Amino acid sequence: MNVRHSHFKLMLAAAVVCSQLLLLTTCAKKTASSASHLVYWSANNQYEVDLARELVARWNSLHPESPVTHQPVPESQSTEEAILAAVVGKTTPDVFSNMWPGDVEAYARAGQLVALDTFPDFAEVIGARVDPALLDEARSSDGHVYQIPWKTNPVMVIFNRKMLAEAGYDHFPRTYSEYLQAAERIVRDTNGDGHIDRWMGITDIRALWWQRFFDFYPLYIAATGGHTLLEDGKIAFDNQQAVEVFTFLQTLFARGYFPKERMVGRTDVFLQGVVASRFTGPWEIRHAEKFKPEGFVYDFAPVPRPDGVSGPVYTYGDIKNIVIFRNTRRPRLAWEFAKFLVSREADLLLLEMTDQLPLRANHLEDPLYAPYFAKSPFMKRFADQARFVRGTDTSPVLKEIFDILSNEFEACVVYGVKTPAKAIHDAARQARLVLE
Amino acid sequence: MDARPITSRTSPVSPQTGRLSVGQGRRRHTANAGYVLVLPYIAHFLTFVAFPLVFSFVLIFHRWDILSPMQWIGLGNVHRLLHDRLFFRALANTGVFLLIHIPLQIVIALALAVFLNQKLRLRGFFRAIFFLPVVVSGVVTTMLWDSLYAQDTGVLNNVLSSLGLGRVPWLTSPTMAMPSIAIMATWKNVGLYIVLFLVGLQSVPQHLYEAADIEGASPWRKFRHITLPMINPTVVMVVILSTIGGFSLFIEPYIMTGGGPIRSTLSAVLYIYHQAFQFNHMGYAATLGFFFALIVFMVVLLQKRVVEQETGL
Repeated sequence: MNVRHSHFKLMLAAAVVCSQLLLLTTCAKKTASSASHLVYWSANNQYEVDLARELVARWNSLHPESPVTHQPVPESQSTEEAILAAVVGKTTPDVFSNMWPGDVEAYARAGQLVALDTFPDFAEVIGARVDPALLDEARSSDGHVYQIPWKTNPVMVIFNRKMLAEAGYDHFPRTYSEYLQAAERIVRDTNGDGHIDRWMGITDIRALWWQRFFDFYPLYIAATGGHTLLEDGKIAFDNQQAVEVFTFLQTLFARGYFPKERMVGRTDVFLQGVVASRFTGPWEIRHAEKFKPEGFVYDFAPVPRPDGVSGPVYTYGDIKNIVIFRNTRRPRLAWEFAKFLVSREADLLLLEMTDQLPLRANHLEDPLYAPYFAKSPFMKRFADQARFVRGTDTSPVLKEIFDILSNEFEACVVYGVKTPAKAIHDAARQARLVLE
Repeated sequence: MDARPITSRTSPVSPQTGRLSVGQGRRRHTANAGYVLVLPYIAHFLTFVAFPLVFSFVLIFHRWDILSPMQWIGLGNVHRLLHDRLFFRALANTGVFLLIHIPLQIVIALALAVFLNQKLRLRGFFRAIFFLPVVVSGVVTTMLWDSLYAQDTGVLNNVLSSLGLGRVPWLTSPTMAMPSIAIMATWKNVGLYIVLFLVGLQSVPQHLYEAADIEGASPWRKFRHITLPMINPTVVMVVILSTIGGFSLFIEPYIMTGGGPIRSTLSAVLYIYHQAFQFNHMGYAATLGFFFALIVFMVVLLQKRVVEQETGL
């Protein structure tokens, strides 16, 4: 037999075997993930992975006939990117618990999500859990609800008590004028080199749309008493309150109360006493407790508002929700599992294991959670704030609107090349075009 | 004269038996084995090059947000592109980057290559040091420079400050940000071009220098009249490679500035990325991509022609 011929046959056989193996592996994976098990994706930070594992273990012990497989959302630049890739590749899980509400509308319009209000017990389950106003916020433009409001991380201000006390404050400034006054006392050049090295606060100056969730947006919600950017699908932020927020922030940068840099490559500037305050969420508690220097005392307060505004202080809630993807083969079971994820007991685990707040209207009154809040006074503060949070509007172009605002923020607030009134007006004009 | 029909010379089939001759049969088996071996490459090419290219060309005529079905809009994306001032701003920013980056890169790489071409002690060590940034991840080097550039706390400004000089707003001034990125990109890539120049330098015949030495030529005259003309092909290659590399500016502004301040570092590729993966405007991003590729192609072609005319290559 010809030697070359036999080599050729060998190579051909190897190629065929390899391709068959690849095919079989792919098919096997697909079958395992979509037919016999319900697949649940959680966020991929360690706290939530631990929580998801615990919840799934409990579910599986209660329902051995309907097992759930847990996977953290695949590593990516952002969760949104990973989900988008999964939708395109038709590899979405049955249930996903870290959905940013701003994305839900686009997925719902594309027919990728199950309308949860089509389940007969939806109203009963959600009604017992969520404030009606929040449920309205979660409702899509077609009138259906595609998401279960699950958890919130209200944006508040963390502040250095000692620095504030030295400036003569026993509480955090509640208004813009108080904040600016405190900043004037706190901000200074401590080593006498003619350069400021202690600031009132810090925020990311880059024009990244999602960074505005931690400066402009919570301040805007607070200034307007709980309004968001859109009203009846139309631009609603072309107003005096938005201009006041931009003016306030612009003053902070113009006077050097906020640094025009990101302080990368150094240790936590808040815990080192370099900045006196920062807009943040409850995730900061564990971080501060772990890394704070000895004797460091901090506290949390609501975000400041323009002078003369009364009523409760609203803020951005940084809400994440649970959705069921349309490609699930067992929607009823997925709904049962989703209900399990928002049960009272599951919400207690959410608190205990992640220090994140369930979007449960009565969690401060519920005796089940009382021991947790008793030993976590800071979380109690966030829980109080959680009654007055707003999410984001339901619009498929929300990211673009935030991007526009972010660019105007950069031009006006950070670099002062535009007046606040013009910046807000320009942002509103561009956003209207995008909406059209 | 050979009277046999042409077919009898080229056909692998024996005219007598109607079967493959032994030699022809072996050649065919060898050819078949070759086809099998190139199959993976062809599969890869079709899947990851040809299909995306054709698909993105189709996308030019559609509106598509990935989630919803594609919608035919004819030349709508092209019309939008022609009126998109921000894209042309991003193109101009990329041009500014190239204007700073390419000359800087060539001058520094050539100077260091000439230096490293000498008989130095630790020559290998220096070559490795200059090449090191090339192999380090772009994300890592960008993050490193991000902290070096920090206005209030960065090492660069601390040095300047200790020398009694003012602090430079490296990344926070619309006029300084792009030059700062160009400096960083030059540092990152210069090692690669040093290697290319070294190859060019080592191919220059030594007898030319020896003849110049006999004539008493100064080092500068030798460099100007021998080295530079002899390494011209390398210069052309470096200019073209760094132009193509410079056009793909992405990681640095993406990580360091997000395209700011006030869009002064928004590069064309970053803008295309935003359209595609931030806003899901896939059709428009594909249109931008094709248009941009056309520009790169034309610039490189023009550059090649000009350099060839100038150098007579």
